[in-house]
Amino acid sequence: MADFSFDRHAFWAGFRDIFPLAVPGIPFGFVLGVVIAESGLDRFVAWLSSPIVLAGASQLAAIELLAESAGAAVVLVTVAFINSRHLMYSAVLRPTFSNFPKWFKIIGPYLLIDQAFALAITQPDDTDDRARMWHYLGSGALVWLVWMASTGMGVVVGDIIEPEWQLGFAVPLLFGGLMIISITNRAGIVAAVVGAVVAVLGANLPQGSGVLLAIVLGVVAGGIADTRLGATPEAAP
Amino acid sequence: MSLFLTILAAGVITYVTRASLIVVGDRVTLPGQVERALKYVAPAAFAAIAAPALLGGDQFAAFGDDIPRIVAVLLAGVVIAKTQSVPLSLFTGMSALWLILWVS
Repeated sequence: MADFSFDRHAFWAGFRDIFPLAVPGIPFGFVLGVVIAESGLDRFVAWLSSPIVLAGASQLAAIELLAESAGAAVVLVTVAFINSRHLMYSAVLRPTFSNFPKWFKIIGPYLLIDQAFALAITQPDDTDDRARMWHYLGSGALVWLVWMASTGMGVVVGDIIEPEWQLGFAVPLLFGGLMIISITNRAGIVAAVVGAVVAVLGANLPQGSGVLLAIVLGVVAGGIADTRLGATPEAAP
Repeated sequence: MSLFLTILAAGVITYVTRASLIVVGDRVTLPGQVERALKYVAPAAFAAIAAPALLGGDQFAAFGDDIPRIVAVLLAGVVIAKTQSVPLSLFTGMSALWLILWVS
């Protein structure tokens, strides 16, 4: 059994290394917190989505849907769709994590957020397993703390924020921005256009199911375009 | 289902997604077609969530009122396309919106 005892140096290195990646999450978390405060949902329970789900875009989508009293099924399928990219992360990191202890394989995936993934795959090849594992856990710990604090602060400060400030408008801006970043080829444009058009046309479908239909049709259209258009540059993590 | 149970279920789904291939190890691989399709979940999903919210539901009723928002979206779009920075585009879009609303 290899030595996986606490590696303080690697842990704090991970904690520090992810800092620049974690900072951009602060305004995102803050906006999510404000949206929770203004959603009319039980704020503490809605905030619990931060420690329980720990995935910003899907939390924001879920809160928005829940505030519009969408059905639980629609909320859960939407969350599953938005977080399906983590399946890719899981596949990519499997060889890296394969020799790590069992307890890590239970805790590690909980912390598999975009930033931790990006940092984990960019560690030097000659890093040994013990250092790699504690580096990952250190980076996850910082992102976790930042996310809890920034969403919590948004919830608390949400009351002071006046509706005239239109802070709710930050939500579509944010998702629009994420959309632009996630488009890496022409098939991605097809997926986004189909997703947007279907979502607008289906805005009045019951229980928010228009969003789901839009995601499904967008993915299918993207997949078809991918095959038709051939060569696909690698998607950014 | 209560709010808490829905959130708990969302957490379980997310965790299972993240843990799946790490835990089952080498026994399962994703078919190439599925892996390719997964790449388009992000643009499709983010567009589907952003588009109806950007139009705000009353897009045809009061087009004039939407001009500050349209300008804000366009500016934020330019910034993110150039810089790939979500916070910077958020900041630009909201500042533009506030500035226009304050001036007018």
